[in-house]
Amino acid sequence: MGNRSASESAAAAWIARRESGQWSEGDQRAFDSWIADSLDNRVAWLRLSTSWEATDRLKVLRSGVPTGTVPKPEEMQSPFFTRAHVKTAPNESSRPLPRRLQLSKAGVRALAASVLVLCAAGLAWKLFPSNPAYETDVGALEAVPLSDGSRVTLNTDTSIKVDLTPHERGVNLARGEAFFEVAKDPTRPFVVHVGDKRIVAVGTQFSVRRDTDGVRVFVTEGVVRVEQSEPGEASRSIAQLHPGAIAHAAADGVIIQTKPVAEVEQLLTWRTGYLVFDHTPLGEAITEFNRYTRHKIVIVDPQVAAIPIGGNFRTTSVEAFLRLVESDFPVVASEQDDRIVLSGAPSSPK
Amino acid sequence: MTEPLDNWFVREILPHEAALLRYLARVWPDASEIQDIRHDAYVRILEGAGRLRPTAPKALLFSIARNLMIDRARRSRIVPIDLLGDLDSLNVLVDEVTPERRASIREQLVKVTEAINRLPEKCREVLWLRRVENLSQKEIAAQLGVAEGTIEKHMTHAAHLLPDLLSAAEDRHADSRADLSAHEGSPRGK
Repeated sequence: MGNRSASESAAAAWIARRESGQWSEGDQRAFDSWIADSLDNRVAWLRLSTSWEATDRLKVLRSGVPTGTVPKPEEMQSPFFTRAHVKTAPNESSRPLPRRLQLSKAGVRALAASVLVLCAAGLAWKLFPSNPAYETDVGALEAVPLSDGSRVTLNTDTSIKVDLTPHERGVNLARGEAFFEVAKDPTRPFVVHVGDKRIVAVGTQFSVRRDTDGVRVFVTEGVVRVEQSEPGEASRSIAQLHPGAIAHAAADGVIIQTKPVAEVEQLLTWRTGYLVFDHTPLGEAITEFNRYTRHKIVIVDPQVAAIPIGGNFRTTSVEAFLRLVESDFPVVASEQDDRIVLSGAPSSPK
Repeated sequence: MTEPLDNWFVREILPHEAALLRYLARVWPDASEIQDIRHDAYVRILEGAGRLRPTAPKALLFSIARNLMIDRARRSRIVPIDLLGDLDSLNVLVDEVTPERRASIREQLVKVTEAINRLPEKCREVLWLRRVENLSQKEIAAQLGVAEGTIEKHMTHAAHLLPDLLSAAEDRHADSRADLSAHEGSPRGK
């Protein structure tokens, strides 16, 4: 203990070295021995490299900025930020409260909305191209701002294409699941295309998930319409969804359930990196987890699949989840090839 | 299937840095020593977790920091122990942020943006070109018309400053959250 300053300077130099593109085997050996040298070094490295990795988030701001151009700090106040954080201009001390913080909630929203319109008109059109595409890997989660002020959160293994025209704000969901927070614009409907289905919204919040057995739509705010496209015909509306609705549209029809909005929100906790289960059969929970990992989990025993479980789990901590299940239930996890097999534990002889 | 110690540390300890620094700043009279105490607390907790992972990491982190301050005060002739701030405001602080509270992606992005906007201009440029545009050090050097060694120096400087800037951004957002709830008339008062 007590070598903070030296360790942190060295850790910073190692990060720069690693980024330089000239990392040699000798560097690797020197680094390994440096980090094994003291806990001071290890702590400094973990802290600095974690902050460094956090800048990865900035990649979502990149779309549309010409290559080789660094946006000015004020240009990075995109609509994406303005909407949520109009209250915290970076250079203001928080006390005493600036006058505009004393606006009512509605006032703040109105202000946010007007700033939003200004930004959208002023620079977003230049910053963002009109039809970008976004993709996430298995296990990833990414939030993407659109130039109209809407925001899309992509869940694991998801691919979307955005097409903003003067008449329609279109998103094609090729794969996976996405949550949409749609900026209000009555003149341009927001349409999510999923195969031959169209999910139409004006200003609202909803999630669309594409599975092999159809499309699921979860609505948490506003009204959303599901339409069916027929070749050569105008698409026809097949369902109107209100907050709390969960619609499952398959080839042969639509099933709509209505639940309290809070319950629907629970089904969308993946947006924060968590899965929430409440008396969920283990089999269903595993199906959810498997979307986030390439290392699939298989349950061979139907009795095991039926065990009800509950709790909040990080989508990326399948291992921690399995450890808990193993310790609380008569279940064993074993690795077989590239899968993890869950089976009932032999009853312990007493 | 034990999770690697480093991952555990990054997930369970580092997110509390802003709160820990706030606590230290409230209690410890000499601001120049706060980062050292923070660092020593990290070393202690990493050391302990290598043997056994604590069940309440945040509470343990704060109590380690508290003990370190008491030790320091005893050893030092400059800081009499009765000059320390309220050491036992600890319990209140630990409950202040629930362990479940993880920053949303949007919040993280806002904080990272604020942090890099406070880097020196050259550091900020280099970081953007490297991390966001994924240009190589060589390409960045060519674009900015300087030697590669200079780029590496800016990168080192940026890496060194980032953790503190992120904690500061986190702090400002913690403040604005508190202000907000006061204004919305939260039943817990201010």
